[in-house]
Amino acid sequence: MTGTRTAARGQTGKLARKRKYIRRHWPLYLMLIPGLVYMIVFKFLPYYGLQIAFRDYNIFSSTSPLRAITASKWVGMKHLNKLFQSSSFATVLSNTLIINGMRILFLFPLPIIIAILLVEIRRKRYRSLSQTAIYVPYFFSWSIIYGIFSSVLDSFGLVNQLVNSLGFERIPFLTEPNIFRGVLIFTDGWKTLGYNAVIYLAAITGLDPQLYEAARIDGASKWRQIWNITLPGILPTIVMMLILKVGHILDVGWEQVLIFYNPAVYEKADVIQTYVYRIGIGKLNFSQATAMELFNSVVAFILIIGANTVSKKTLHRSIW
Amino acid sequence: MMSKQHIPAEKRRKRTALMDRSDIEVEVLAYVLVSLCVLLAVIPCIHVVARSFSKGTAVISGMVTLWPINPQIEGYRTVLRETEFLRALGNTLLVTFVGTAASMIASILFAYPLSKTELVGRKFFILLCMIVMVFNGGMVPNYLLMRGLGLLDSFSALIFPALISVFNMLIIKNYFESLPESVLEYAAIDGAGDFRTLVSIVCPLSMPVLATVTLLYAIHYWNNYFNAMLYILDPYKVTLQVFIRNFIADAGTLVNQLERTAETMGNLSTGVIIACATVLGIIPIVALYPFVQRFMLQGITIGSEKG
Repeated sequence: MTGTRTAARGQTGKLARKRKYIRRHWPLYLMLIPGLVYMIVFKFLPYYGLQIAFRDYNIFSSTSPLRAITASKWVGMKHLNKLFQSSSFATVLSNTLIINGMRILFLFPLPIIIAILLVEIRRKRYRSLSQTAIYVPYFFSWSIIYGIFSSVLDSFGLVNQLVNSLGFERIPFLTEPNIFRGVLIFTDGWKTLGYNAVIYLAAITGLDPQLYEAARIDGASKWRQIWNITLPGILPTIVMMLILKVGHILDVGWEQVLIFYNPAVYEKADVIQTYVYRIGIGKLNFSQATAMELFNSVVAFILIIGANTVSKKTLHRSIW
Repeated sequence: MMSKQHIPAEKRRKRTALMDRSDIEVEVLAYVLVSLCVLLAVIPCIHVVARSFSKGTAVISGMVTLWPINPQIEGYRTVLRETEFLRALGNTLLVTFVGTAASMIASILFAYPLSKTELVGRKFFILLCMIVMVFNGGMVPNYLLMRGLGLLDSFSALIFPALISVFNMLIIKNYFESLPESVLEYAAIDGAGDFRTLVSIVCPLSMPVLATVTLLYAIHYWNNYFNAMLYILDPYKVTLQVFIRNFIADAGTLVNQLERTAETMGNLSTGVIIACATVLGIIPIVALYPFVQRFMLQGITIGSEKG
């Protein structure tokens, strides 16, 4: 209000105004305190802990695991070099890329198709019932879904009953490395299809009905309407979702793997985070595990920033 | 429109016929594919329910499909009586209630100042949020931190690391920003301080979005597996998701123990009690589903509006 005086007084006026704002609205800053404390302790302190990737971390070298960080010997790139030379690094990285690449390839188009088709179902009751049925699994935890599918896929389960009745050998879905990835993809689709479809559904219902009206008058077939109105209309949503998926290709879905997998399928299913868990927490090889995490975090960071840049350029909006 | 009138009547009829056919084609395809998805979603669940009520020997011989064979409830009785299921459920309920409340309070308190565009230092605080959102400190440093703070084996370890989800907090912030300025100014003239404006005006006006975010947090706490597995080793403090995952792995041992002691031979099998634990874990979600659906759909719409 008193802000726009002369240019000479501008700088000091601004400062004074800021000070006045803080003095008047100090409760706002009080409100920020819990969140800031949370971020400093539980988010920024772990960043500090990442340095153990460059040390021979020994948790018992001091009374506190945190003080042990600086008490451990600095070894520079030792662990990162070891990591890049190890064969498990290549395995784990390629598993992560293959499994999550397959997720995108098979599961990305599906909810778009289902959303487009759901709109075409004219019986309202059937539509909302089927939408609910597909949507509910999204709220099941991975443990529950593991419980469901370890039942359906075990030797006496529904699928193997079918396989057996068709005259084939029973298939050990959860312990056969070559099939296990398929199980991961399928169950992921089972959980997330409805949720993702609803996102596209929201975009489709936001489209202008007059466009369809005009197309119908012009004699455009339903297929043409889908191809020329619906798809272009929801393209921004599609692109945005795809960018997000690619941006998170290194760090999604590992909790599912951790719950579903077992030693029999490690070679095909071990992803970055599950590997970090096994060697870090499992074998107490903290430094080696953190080196892996550091690599993962840096690449993920680059991917996400890249994804956001692409999103800004193509869609003119930021993904967060 | 003009050109349309020049199309001969016969040709026009052909066009309408073509249009009708494509309508039907798409609708048939819609019914077929959507129904297929519904079946794929529902059948596994029905199979598990059928198993949970079946006799153990029937499950092992592969006879149970979508309806219980030799119905019984021995499996449920075993899971509820002989295992820590109820304790795990109680622990999860506790963590979910306390965690969601704490998260909501912290998120609202953080979101409100950030929603003020004239806040001094706003850019800096938003930058902090962005860093937290994009760069993850990782599993091992977090584990060491929890250990260093002495939080292992305490429920706080399940709440503090997830106290604020920046994503959820930003949903609240964006909604606060969209509230009409005039209402807030009116409150200020009325002499209400920032706290009072937030509690008695801003929050009541934002109930829909607060409900959605409450739900997002609650689902997060309810479904959380990894933190619970990493930080909680005390069997008395095990949470539901970890319990169910471990139970699936160890069910065989439990069945062997029980078979030796009881005369219920053949009633139980690993398959039956795994199915029972799974069904018991699903019930709360399905029971709350109408509520969940209402606020989640709302949430998705709010989320898509924010861009």
